[in-house]
Amino acid sequence: MEINIKHIAKLAKLSIPEDKLAKFETEMQDMIKMVENLPEIPTGGAVIDENDTMELREDVVVPSSPRDEMIMNAPQTAAGCILIPKVVE
Amino acid sequence: MINNNYEIVVGLEVHAELSTKTKIFCGCKNEFGAEVNTNVCPVCMGLPGTLPVLNKQVVEYAIKMGHALNCNINRVTKQDRKNYFYPDLPKAYQISQFDIPLCENGYLDILVGEETRRIGVTRIHIEEDTGKLIHADEFGGSLADYNRCGVPLIEIVSEPDIRSAEEAKSYLETIRTILLYLGISDAKMQEGSIRCDVNVSVRKKGQTDFNTRVEMKNVNSFSAVYNAINYEAARQIEEIEKGNEISQETRRWDDALGQNFVLRSKEDAHDYRYFPDPDLLTFVIPQEKVDELKAEQPELPVQKTLRYMKDFGLSKIDAETIALSKDKAKFFDECMDFKKCDAKLLSNWVLGEITRIANERRCEIADLALSAENLVEMIALIENKTISNAAGKTVFEIIVDKDEKPSDIVKEKGLAQISDSSALQTIVDTVLANNEKAITDYKSGKTNVLGFLVGQCMKQSKGQGNPAMFKEMVIAAIENS
Amino acid sequence: MDKLYSLSATSMKELLDKKEVSSVEITKSVIERIEKTDKDINAYISYNFENAVKQAQEVDEKRAKGETVGALAGIPVAVKDNICVKNLKATCASKMLENFVAPYNATVTEKLYANDAIIIGKTTMDEFAMGSSGENSALAIAKNPWNTQRVPGGSSSGSAATVAASQVPFALGSDTGGSIRQPSAFTGIVGLKPTYGAVSRYGLVAFASSLDQIGPMARTVDDTAMLFSAICGRDAKDATSKNYTFEGYTDSVKGMRIGVPKEYYGEGVSAVVKEKVYTAIETLKAQGAEIINISLPSTEYALSAYYIIACAEASSNLGRYDGVKYGYSGNRTAGLNEMYESTRSEGFGDEVKRRIMLGTYVLSSGYYDAYYKRAKMLQQNIVKEYNEAFKLCDVILTPTSPITAFNFGEKTDNQVEMYAADICTVTVNIAGLPGINVPCGFDSNNLPIGFQIIGKKFRESDILTVAKCYEKTVGGFAVKEF
Repeated sequence: MEINIKHIAKLAKLSIPEDKLAKFETEMQDMIKMVENLPEIPTGGAVIDENDTMELREDVVVPSSPRDEMIMNAPQTAAGCILIPKVVE
Repeated sequence: MINNNYEIVVGLEVHAELSTKTKIFCGCKNEFGAEVNTNVCPVCMGLPGTLPVLNKQVVEYAIKMGHALNCNINRVTKQDRKNYFYPDLPKAYQISQFDIPLCENGYLDILVGEETRRIGVTRIHIEEDTGKLIHADEFGGSLADYNRCGVPLIEIVSEPDIRSAEEAKSYLETIRTILLYLGISDAKMQEGSIRCDVNVSVRKKGQTDFNTRVEMKNVNSFSAVYNAINYEAARQIEEIEKGNEISQETRRWDDALGQNFVLRSKEDAHDYRYFPDPDLLTFVIPQEKVDELKAEQPELPVQKTLRYMKDFGLSKIDAETIALSKDKAKFFDECMDFKKCDAKLLSNWVLGEITRIANERRCEIADLALSAENLVEMIALIENKTISNAAGKTVFEIIVDKDEKPSDIVKEKGLAQISDSSALQTIVDTVLANNEKAITDYKSGKTNVLGFLVGQCMKQSKGQGNPAMFKEMVIAAIENS
Repeated sequence: MDKLYSLSATSMKELLDKKEVSSVEITKSVIERIEKTDKDINAYISYNFENAVKQAQEVDEKRAKGETVGALAGIPVAVKDNICVKNLKATCASKMLENFVAPYNATVTEKLYANDAIIIGKTTMDEFAMGSSGENSALAIAKNPWNTQRVPGGSSSGSAATVAASQVPFALGSDTGGSIRQPSAFTGIVGLKPTYGAVSRYGLVAFASSLDQIGPMARTVDDTAMLFSAICGRDAKDATSKNYTFEGYTDSVKGMRIGVPKEYYGEGVSAVVKEKVYTAIETLKAQGAEIINISLPSTEYALSAYYIIACAEASSNLGRYDGVKYGYSGNRTAGLNEMYESTRSEGFGDEVKRRIMLGTYVLSSGYYDAYYKRAKMLQQNIVKEYNEAFKLCDVILTPTSPITAFNFGEKTDNQVEMYAADICTVTVNIAGLPGINVPCGFDSNNLPIGFQIIGKKFRESDILTVAKCYEKTVGGFAVKEF
């Protein structure tokens, strides 16, 4: 099984250092081998369990949280906002 | 100018914020313009350990839109996660719907020229809005405001059935009006409560299959939609004419520059890794609820336009102008319900004086003190010639700000039109006696002084004289002199 | 009473109700015990001693005034560090959240407070609950009180260790694929993984949302049930939680049908584990239970389905750790992508990265159907199989772990072997059923062995009844002296 480990890492926003790439690749191969052990079963249609349903919420306002508490864990804040280093598109 | 050998093919993805009281997955207020990061809680901030709980009203509003756009409603559905990284998306996934949208396979009839065009609606799904990034160089980066995170959105995806920028604009206008009619969105483009992505391709006339399309993001006003489509179509035609291939890419429309720019190429296309959100189970909308929401549906703009044309004989332009405004249409319908005045006269007042005053005061007709009952009575008084148009205007200026019966005003101010010929004759005689030069002019063939003389008579009568009678009497008096 | 800390919660409650001891005395005894032993056990990431004493004083005052107190009034409890307690750190044993202070309470935390329990500290774990040994903790690696050269199991390693070392009577853990039951087996305590939806997940930092459940760990069945009873029930903040009332339990298995699925007693299960579990089955049979041989053939695929579903969900759940809003933030000077990649590469440990990668892979374009969708379909088959089995029996009995506690470092180089040790427990999460570990003896190294009882959905009553009957019959479970 060929895995494009760099592509997967890019999607997951992880950078795997070159010297660790080989090890990671082997480990991933092992894991994939393990999970490939699934039997073939028909997989048509969407994944939806019609027997397990949830209740919906009424549209009623609940007080919001104090701003200070909501941003207190941020690495950087300014002007009541969370500060993000320059966004380069 | 678009090359005549080509046809434009457009599909629109319209995002509309729903005007529920609370956000889609938490009880924070859904409100525009609040101070930064004050309408937030652990859930919409995506803090570790928090869970979404779906707002019932969001589902019902979306179903209303589904009905209005003639969709099938998927009563058994779910929510999916769309995974991507961006600082305005605190969980690094947007809760949306993937393979079972709440509504699908619908259509919308729009009026283009004198023609009705049917635009297919592929799907409508519900999802959460993202936060806002405010670029702030003084802080060396961007400021993230999460108030908008979790504001409920519906995304309405059309089929590639739109064939011109005009059609796209008309489609979007109709969608906007429907949202307002249903009362499910503020639909304010300037506040970003409606946003639009535009898919454009071009093909040779007569060609049946589609060419590669380009997606344009950030097209956020009616005029931008119009300009962006024409710009992109022209760009594609030029490329094709040069023998170049159109590549499937995403471009960003810059409305100020009137140009678009490549945002990402096909190779950089996102892999969103959609999968069912395990925090939200299947939800089932009872058939009775679906039916109930359908029964509540008001008459929609296109139906209204056609009805005004057919039943009231209004011109297409007048009918549509009224119908495309929920405010105007509501007032117009209220007036017509009295069955007391002529539709054409009424539409002139609604589109003329009343709209002028509402625009001047930057308000809705509904905000004026003007009542439908008073307006209808006033028009009826003009129609049956109890008062002149001029007197009508006087009455109107009063009733627009005050709830007074027009007949009382007429009585109180003595505005009733005088049709008693002896009274009128006295005025005519006075006016002619004071304007001998005009009589000479008239006799020498300058018949246009007639207007001036009638005007003088009206002035003398303080607007109460019947102008038609004045006219006859002036002519008779001159010819007999 | 110099050994208050070693009492069961039930005994503490009795003494407190009779006003023979105060909560402050118990709390101080527990604190002293932790201070004395935790350098060897290393069960905690953070202590909450000051608040605990203050809280104990308040509960004592309440009691003195004759006010009504909660069901856990004055009893110390430890909380796994992936459960939010407002104003305390919730690190998930990750460098990523090393300094993250929870600004809100989990629903179970609210329930602990409402029941006047005393939160004594936050226990260590495998990072983000990913692991079966406790070794994947970036902040504190707990040791097995029975032999400190051995792992306590995981991922609720700290909760298991602190309870087994008699530092506290009970603790909350979380279980995604066995993270309560397996460490309970390794440390010789009782651990209950409730039915999916029985306990609110609001405030539990997610690993795999469709499998995670919070549950109690204790040295006795009564204590386990006491804590469970306080935390279960529907929560409007968790759409996956269900209306549920715990009905209590008895100590008699007379007439109860216990299913024994052959697939759980295969080659991978060590001889001594098999032997002790079979002995336990005989014990229950002697108490009047009917033993029925059953088959659950899809078990062999459950592990694969589990890792696909769990990793897929984890890859999405852990996306939020991006250096923007909270937690570790990497290089902030070279653009957005660099910030993301450095934050996540430096903040997560290798096991977390492996699982995020696997999860990303199985959801990525072109692979979704082959992996995720297939695993979800298989999950439905497993549920069906259990439903069929439960027509033949009331509960199912299996080993909890095929092996006993292993040495530190012994399995860290072979992930797949480590994963394979989860085989007995993951199916229960995949099927959303309740499962409990019950200690049933020791191997030749004096390391605990446990069996697992699996119940029908929302039939915690049944499995607690079997556990209670067994506990009573064998005269209680051994406690490590130390």
